Amino acid sequence: MLTVTDVAKRYGDVQALDGFSLTALPGEIVGLVGHNGAGKTTFVDIVSGLIRQDSGTVLVDGQPPSKARGRIGVSPQQIGLYPPLVIREHLRLFGGLAGLRRTALKAAMDEVIQALRLTEFLDRPTGYLSGGQQRRAQAAIALIHRPALLILDEPTAGADPETRQALLDVVKQRAGEGAAVVYTTHYLNELAELGATIAVARRGKVIARGSSAELLDGLPGEVRVQFVDHEEHATTTDPTATLLRLLDGATAPVKSVELRNPDLDDLYRSLAATDVN
Amino acid sequence: MSTETLSTDTKSHANPRSGSLARTGLLIRYNVLLRLRDPGQMISYLVLPMVIMVVFKPLYVKAFDGGTLHAVIGPLVMFSMFALGIVGNSILVEREWRTWDRLRTTKAGRGELLFGKLVPPFAILIVQQTILLTFGTLVVGMPVPPSLPLLAIAVAVWGLTLLAIGAALATVARSRGDLNMVSDLGAMVISSLGGALVPVTLMPGWVAAIAPFSPGYWAMDLMRAAVDDDFAGMVRPALVCLTIAVVAGVFAGYRLARGWGRSHLI
Repeated sequence: MLTVTDVAKRYGDVQALDGFSLTALPGEIVGLVGHNGAGKTTFVDIVSGLIRQDSGTVLVDGQPPSKARGRIGVSPQQIGLYPPLVIREHLRLFGGLAGLRRTALKAAMDEVIQALRLTEFLDRPTGYLSGGQQRRAQAAIALIHRPALLILDEPTAGADPETRQALLDVVKQRAGEGAAVVYTTHYLNELAELGATIAVARRGKVIARGSSAELLDGLPGEVRVQFVDHEEHATTTDPTATLLRLLDGATAPVKSVELRNPDLDDLYRSLAATDVN
Repeated sequence: MSTETLSTDTKSHANPRSGSLARTGLLIRYNVLLRLRDPGQMISYLVLPMVIMVVFKPLYVKAFDGGTLHAVIGPLVMFSMFALGIVGNSILVEREWRTWDRLRTTKAGRGELLFGKLVPPFAILIVQQTILLTFGTLVVGMPVPPSLPLLAIAVAVWGLTLLAIGAALATVARSRGDLNMVSDLGAMVISSLGGALVPVTLMPGWVAAIAPFSPGYWAMDLMRAAVDDDFAGMVRPALVCLTIAVVAGVFAGYRLARGWGRSHLI
């Protein structure tokens, strides 16, 4: 569905993308993570057809993004809504621009309204909506024409738990129906919940890709043992052996034991440390 | 295309026959809706010139020949220039609201987006001038123009000129405050310099000498010739106005394509 090969993009002195490659297959959710400035939004802008790459190829269903617009649904990082218009009017506008008419438009609107729980504030100008409600409206626009490729750029940034859950549910549903999804985020637990393939971007290229298990392999977890009179804590790649060592040398009764396996936050921190070094 | 992709597309509600015309029509409808949700400027630029026409007519009639015509054409030119702010704002808010990039990710092409964006403000300019000319004829007492087609041409040419200038202004303004300041100041200075308040013949010599550099001067000439059914007299001011429109339009197009932030407008 989406094939991005060796893409480069420069803004003046800043090399935003430098050999960026990524694929997303139908039904696959690719979670794109990376620090601010890693090139995620530039990548999204290129795939959305908003800007052109300096070199490399971007193909959506075998075509450049400018020729595949009807098959792409984009939810940009920053809110882009008309404050004087209500959500219903936004959905009619963007659904209509995608070619939906009458009953098909109504059916598509009903579906996204329900999926993203928009009914309550459907006829309220978007300028009066909360940040979370605006996020949901923004996502509804991206989803209304059932795109084969969904690009969601930090869709839950600053969103409340209800918004977050509604968005995650609908993303899983659309992927289950065969859409390819690229989902950029800093909330790494969301990717675990989505069961996403994770791609890690750094300095304009994807430096690692795989399942969370593959990427977390070799990263240290945490062992915390609470004794009645003190606490011991260790970061380790072998939690079991470390726990046994701590218990073996114990001089006081154990109150509690906590084992934490490495998660995506650890991956993120390890990349941050690499970046600093 | 893979099987999975086909299954997604099969569920799509999209109608492949929907075309450019439908999208352009939809964009025009929504841009009209946006204008109607914020009608303050439009109302102001319709009512104020009407008041000025009525209040200033006796003064103009006593001061010089053709005072009634000037009492109508002058405020019309001045307040149609104030309406530059409406044109500029309609473009600028798309950047402020980050909605233009949203539209650019849809199936709508560049031409459709620009046409859909510019038709409503152009229509506002035409409607404004038409209402003011009608008011001038029926209430203020301006002679009924012998040739309505000539008047329509004049209104359309001046409307097009204002549309291009407004679009150009929108591409250089950094904010709505900037735009309003430039369009208000510019409208006042350019229309006054062009003879909208006081006829150029009554101005000091040095002002009269630079008056032809003002688009307002040519708009006044154009309107006066159209109301007088003077086709020959319309040609020169119409050509000057159209030249200004082309220059401003090319500049606006260049700025929209090359210089509007990280992503280009078109």
